[in-house]
Order: sequence, then C-alpha cells, then structure tokens
Amino acid sequence: MKYKVKKDYGRWLWVLPAIALVICLFVYPLGSQVFYSFTNKTLIKSTYGIRGLSNYTAILTDPDFWLALWTSVKWTVLSLLFQMLIGFSAALALNSIKNKVARQVYRILLIIPWAFPTIAIAIIWKWLLNGIYGFIPTLLTQMGITGQLPQFLSTPDLVMPTLVVVNVWFGFPLIMVNVLAALQTVSQDQYEAAQIDGARKLHMFWYITLPHIRNVIGLLVVLRTIWVFNSFDIIYMITGGGPANVSTTLPIYIYNLGWVNKFVGRSSAAAVILLIILLTICAAYFCVLNKWEKEADS
Amino acid sequence: MKRKWIATTLACTMLAAALTGCRGETETETRAPAADASAGAAADGELEGEITFWHSFTQGARMDAVQAAADSFMKLHPGVRINIETYSWGDFNTKWNAGITTGDLPDLSTAQNTGEVVEMINAEVAAPADRFLDSFGRDRFSEKALGDMTWDGSTYGIPYYSHAQVMWYRHDLLDAIGAEVPETWQEFYDLAVKLTDDDTYGAAFSCSTNDLLGTRYLNYYVTSGGGSLLNDDLTVNLTSDLAIEGINFWVDVYKNCSPAETINYTVLDHATLFYQGKTAFDFNSGFMISGVESNTPEIAEFVDAAPLPKIHADDPDYSAEATHIPLVIWEKSEHPEICEAFVAWLLQEENYIPFLEAVPVGMIPAVAGISETEAYRSNETVQFYSNAVDVISEAIELGNAIGVDDHGASVQASYLTSQGIIEAMFQDIITNGTDVETAAKSAEDQLNEIFDMMIN
Repeated sequence: MKYKVKKDYGRWLWVLPAIALVICLFVYPLGSQVFYSFTNKTLIKSTYGIRGLSNYTAILTDPDFWLALWTSVKWTVLSLLFQMLIGFSAALALNSIKNKVARQVYRILLIIPWAFPTIAIAIIWKWLLNGIYGFIPTLLTQMGITGQLPQFLSTPDLVMPTLVVVNVWFGFPLIMVNVLAALQTVSQDQYEAAQIDGARKLHMFWYITLPHIRNVIGLLVVLRTIWVFNSFDIIYMITGGGPANVSTTLPIYIYNLGWVNKFVGRSSAAAVILLIILLTICAAYFCVLNKWEKEADS
Repeated sequence: MKRKWIATTLACTMLAAALTGCRGETETETRAPAADASAGAAADGELEGEITFWHSFTQGARMDAVQAAADSFMKLHPGVRINIETYSWGDFNTKWNAGITTGDLPDLSTAQNTGEVVEMINAEVAAPADRFLDSFGRDRFSEKALGDMTWDGSTYGIPYYSHAQVMWYRHDLLDAIGAEVPETWQEFYDLAVKLTDDDTYGAAFSCSTNDLLGTRYLNYYVTSGGGSLLNDDLTVNLTSDLAIEGINFWVDVYKNCSPAETINYTVLDHATLFYQGKTAFDFNSGFMISGVESNTPEIAEFVDAAPLPKIHADDPDYSAEATHIPLVIWEKSEHPEICEAFVAWLLQEENYIPFLEAVPVGMIPAVAGISETEAYRSNETVQFYSNAVDVISEAIELGNAIGVDDHGASVQASYLTSQGIIEAMFQDIITNGTDVETAAKSAEDQLNEIFDMMIN
C-alpha cells in the first residue's frame, strides 16, 4: 500500500516574513556589495561595467590600505586588551561590595560612559583634548606637568594612544556589566566547599570563577573584536583619520573610498576584504570557544 | 554540536551585517524620466502639487526666513505644498550622491557652490534653468555666476546669494604694533609671525581631509601669481613653480604662526579661531562678521576686510574665489513650474531682503539692484562694515569658483575641492616631512586618476 505524502506549503507562509527580512537586510546588501566589488561603479553614475579583479588588485597594492589595516589591528588589540583588563577588574571590585545600595550606585556611575551616544562622547573628548583651549592640555600645563600645551590630536605619536584611551573609557563598562552578571551566577556553594578544603582566594578565582565565566568572556571578545574593528564614529569625529592617515582605520579608509572619492566598486572590494579578515579572526576565536565547551562537557 | 553551528552562523551573520554598513551604496538605480513641465498644473493655470525643497540653511534666522517665504507662498497658492528638508553643507553632497541610487532626490535645492552644480550636471540630475532665467531676466544676475553653471549652452543654476574670499584682520592688533594692512604675501607672513604670542596666533593654516581649506589656500597663492590649479587640458597642476612656492608658503605659515591642532581643522573649526579672537588674520567670506559678533562681540568693532594679498605689490588686482550659492531645479521634478514660481517668490524684495538680513554682509545679493535699495542699505551691520561690503563685492565681480578661472565650468574644477587629496598632501608634508615636490607629484597623480575614473 502506498502512502501519499501530503505536501503542506502553508508552513512556508509562517517563515516567509523572516526569510524576506533576511534577504532584504543581509543577503541582498552583502550580495550586491560583492557584485559591485567586481565593477567600476561610482557613487554619482548609474551606469557601470564589470572590471574583474582590478579593484582588488588596486586595493592590495595600495600602501594606504596596509597602513589602515595595521592601524586597525593596533586600535583593536590595544582597545580590547585594556577594555578587558579594566572591565574585568571593575566587575570583580563591584562583585566584592557587600552593601547592595553601594554596589548599585557604583554600577550606575561606572556605566555612564556606555550610556552616552558615541557622537556626544567624541565631541566632548575633542573639546577636552583641544590643543588650543582644551581642558586637559591646559590643566597639564598649569600643573607644570608639561611645558607647553600637549597636542594630543595632532602629534603623530600621541594620536593613536589618545584615541585608544577614549575608546577604553567608552567600552569598558560593557565588559564590566557582562562579567559582573556572569560572576553573580557562580554558585556560592563551590566557594564555601573550596574554603573548607583550605583553598586560597587566588586558587578559587583560577579554578572556580574563571572556568565559570570564560565562555562569557570568550563571546565578549568575539563581539568586541567585531565592533571595535568596525568602529568608525569615535575616530572619524575626533581626528577624521588624520593627521597624514595616522589614525585611518579600515572602516575610515573604506568610507573615504566610497563617499569622498565616490569609488563604490573599490570601496566594496575593500569591505569584502575586511569581511574576509574578520571572518578568519572569528573562526579562530570559535575554535577556542568550541575547545572550551568540549572541555566543560567532558 | 548543533548549538555551536547556530552560534557560529549567528555571529557570522552579525559580522557580515555589520560590514554591509561599510559599503558605498545599496541598489541599482533607474533614472526618473524627464519631468513634464506642464504636469500638475491645473487647467485654469493655478499651481497645484507638492514639491520637496532641500536647503542647507541650518542657522535659525536663515531657516526661518525661508520657511516664512514658503508659508506665504503656500497661502497664496492653496494647491501647493512645499516640504522643506534641511541638511548641513557637509551632509548635502553625501545626501544627493546617495539619492542618485535610492531615488530620494528633491524637486528643488540649494547647492554648496557653482562647482557642485557642475557635479550635478555630470550626474545628469540637474534640469536646465533657462526658462526661468529668460523670464526673470538673465541680466539681473552676474554674468560670471551664470557662466560658472553653464554647460553646453544651458544654465543649470539660479544664483541665490554671493560671497567671496577676502582677507580679514584685527586693526586693533595691527595698530598696537604700528603696522599697516599687508598688501603682499610676504608682508602678511612677516606680520603674522610678529603677532604670534602665547595668547594669539598670527594666522591659522588648516588642512583637514574632510574639507577644502588646503586647496582653497593654495588656490589663493597660485591665483595671485596668475596661475591655476588646472592645466588647459583640465588635468591638475600642483607641480608648477608657482604651486610649489605656494605649498612651501603655507607650510611655513603652519609651522611659524598657526596652532598645530589646525592640521585636522575643518572650515568651521578654523573660522572659530578668528571668531574667538585667537587669530589676527584669516581668509574667509563676510560670514566672519556674524561669527565674531556671536562669539566675541567685544572685538567685532576691530574687525575689517581687505583684498587678498598679492605676490608683488604692483601685481594686478585679482580675486581668487567668488562663490554664488545657487538654487537648482532637479531633473526628476514633476512640478518644475512650482519650483520656478517659488524661486521667483524667494527672490522678490519682500522675501529676499529679510533672508539676506539673516546674515548681513555674509550674503551679498545675487540679484541686480537689491544692494541699492533703501531696505538693504539701511541695515546697521551693512552700514558699519561698508568697507568690507565693498571689498567683498569687488572680489565677487572679479572672481570665479576654484579651478574655473580661464577654463570655464568643468567637473574637474569641482572634484579638485571635494577629494581631500591636496589636504592629505599638506598633512603628509607637515607630519612626515615628505619632500614638497614628491608629495605634490603624488597628489597630482591621484587627482588625475580620479578625474579619469569619474569623468571618462
């Protein structure tokens, strides 16, 4: 006896909105970006032609691309490192405060940088660091720490460290809040058992706290790497990528190609290269995360 | 395992979605058909329809004056609706560039300068304004202003107001050292160095790659020597003796009398230094007066304007840059007749003078006869700064947009100022100590490559 399988196409109706959304917001923009990267499309002309790999060749042979990539790597690694260190330390400090009201007050105070719009933060820092009438250079000079107004935003050696400080100040609260939330899920029973066995605080941190929260930290690192690598507004608003490209990261390089020079094809090629770089980095991160998960399961 | 795949896929999706924000544009575009001039007009000739007007008058007084004119126009023509959208000068170019692809374009707009109109013509988005100009009277506008926007025999912009670049100085500071207003670049430089102390800078040289100041300042110098930043074949010329001399001159100004910070300064950051009394000299249009009056009113009485310096005192009079802010009717507009009627309304004395008075001296009338009217002349600021008004008016008469000079309107002239490449060249010389000739040659090659890609 043959059974006829009844095809129920109605179920597709339920997922259609989601599929449409993914196609509109992800597949189409990404697909068209990859497509344009093989064309000579410009921003101000609707006509264009296929140019093969010429955009990729132009990007990969452009010294400014490699300089921007190196600046992006420095920007991401330094920002992430200090955001993690400060965010983690602040979370541990907050977690050790017993008074609930005090903990709440400190948590609100420390989250303030994250609560501001990035544009407002960039404008405020630009004003604070201004080399003519900025508060910080003036204060340093009046305190006798520097002989003349330090030029944080125009001295090539100072520009990137200054921007990293701003980004660390802006980004560490996110790490702090997430790590604090993870810390609060660690069972107190384990600490009590370890105490009975005579474990020291460092041992408890290493063998109980860290294994519990390392997945959260891992995911935070993945997310922050993507966000910081792609971050555009803080640098663009404060220095515009200057002087002489010393603070031009890849997103600014791509923006300038697309919106200033109006080379949509070339900027799309640079964005595709950036996508490949970030996918590679994320793949490496996920290998580590998978390994941790396997260790936890076993 | 399944969870890991989901997590990995989600992260990759987020990453890719985030990256799509870096791309230049989003979809293929089809140009709208040319507008039918008669569309929307009712049989009895009464105007009817809706238009969108983009302008860049973000300051309250100018914005209010335009809105008031639009309101009164709509009251007069009940069938008309004018939707006004305001974009800062900096955002405007990006907005319409993106609009070419997305189709989000206005019926009528201002433009940053005549050069941008040529960009619009090249992008085939601006409509000829000949019908309006012929009915309103071409002779009521400056011939040079119309010439800057004329392409293949058609004129694509209607001058709304004009200004020109002149030298601004503080005569109290000059009086204090017993100095006269400089007439040559060398005199200007010597005085600027002399006036630089702990509180004041003689002059500022700014070259943010997000603005055109490096190009503008180099153009002053090159034009004063009778040269041009464009060759006759419309390629860039940054390596002539005059251009190299000009680059060296401004690098010296930066090193010896300008704040270091200005290497990243845009037009507004730069002008604010003069507004706040931080610099003794500056080069700008008549907008300086309103800036000084609102930032440091106590020095406003000491501010005055003079023609741009020359290389030799006996060189002929010149003007390096005159700007006519145009109104442009867009090709895709379905109601050009409403746009034309509204432009005529904006230029009527009762609407035009209140608009000009929003920034007196900053906006010089582009329509003949307005500056002679009692209503215009009676403005206190215009009266007090009458010397500055005369200096600017003369510079408007003599000048053109950057790169237009003897070569006429060209897309190259427009791209010269919008790419940030001359500014990057200055930054490279100042920051990395790159040899001037090498940096100039590199910038010249980059700009010529862009011209090739954008125009051919």
